[in-house]
Amino acid sequence: MIGPGVKIEGQINSDEDLIVEGKVDGSISAKSHEVVVGKSGVLKANIVAKVVKVEGSVTGDISGIEKVVISNTGNVLGNIEAPRVTLEDGAKFKGSIEMDPGDQAISELPTTASGAVKAQLFGSENEQAKAS
Amino acid sequence: MIRSSSSQPAVLATNLGLHSNLFATVFERLQVSTRLNVLDMGFASPSTVQFFNQFKCKLHFVDLYAEEFIANPQEEATHDELRMQFKAALNLQPDLTIDICLFWDFFNYLDGPALKALIAALEPHIGPDTRGYSLGLLNGRTSLPYYQYGIGSLNNLSQTGRDGDQPPIYPHSQRDLNGMLGYFEIDKSRLIPDGRVEYILYENRSKRPNAGAIF
Repeated sequence: MIGPGVKIEGQINSDEDLIVEGKVDGSISAKSHEVVVGKSGVLKANIVAKVVKVEGSVTGDISGIEKVVISNTGNVLGNIEAPRVTLEDGAKFKGSIEMDPGDQAISELPTTASGAVKAQLFGSENEQAKAS
Repeated sequence: MIRSSSSQPAVLATNLGLHSNLFATVFERLQVSTRLNVLDMGFASPSTVQFFNQFKCKLHFVDLYAEEFIANPQEEATHDELRMQFKAALNLQPDLTIDICLFWDFFNYLDGPALKALIAALEPHIGPDTRGYSLGLLNGRTSLPYYQYGIGSLNNLSQTGRDGDQPPIYPHSQRDLNGMLGYFEIDKSRLIPDGRVEYILYENRSKRPNAGAIF
């Protein structure tokens, strides 16, 4: 853990899960682990990790090998790349998000989709009924 | 016509759903099996990110609503100055072609010159299959709540009250809007019960689709 009174300038390589409550200017790499930017964490850094969760402030690019989550207190200015990205209500984000859910990706157009895919795209059956 | 936003009704912070019969047509003819590039004029909505989690895609959230030159427009700015301001605010890669432009109600915060400058700034990123979605006002008397928008599903959008002061409003009729959109054309439109209108936009430089209003 990087405590709230700690400021680090430079490159951090971590072989374990990392919680950042302090300030980091530079980069963080933890490709097999989770990085959590806590509520008091302020990063001007690029992050690469298996899972990234942001509760504080990040200015920089984030790459999540599995997923990235911006929590309701999180504030991110930068670009995110991950198979799945979640923004919680209240999260602030400006930048680009690149996602690739792989085999779970929808590849059918709404007009040709059927069954479960259509339900995913159009929501509940009630909503579909209203739309038709 | 410019209209002060000070008389606008307060809006709720909670999500007020907006049923849309048109939004799904944005996806017609798109190759969703390849990576979709989506430009959203607002900031990131959790529901929009959740919706596009189903696709291989890249979402660009530019939040032009918050730009200083939108909140406090300079009347003396030239077309080129405005275009460069938009280009800088969009900050898009030069070779990026957008598949879907989510304009939401942003056109209502632009006067004619600013709207034309935005369209000019976007032109390098618009291809023959680009689709757009926007919300307008039926007439100058219709109120425009200060919302941020998102996608719940293809026929349900989300709208929640936006923080901060609402910028000046410039209501545009459908005819005026069509005249200012340049290479975009309003292909479909539909009146929403509260007096707003939703529009589907198609690129029309290379072809002219069958234009027609639903209402």
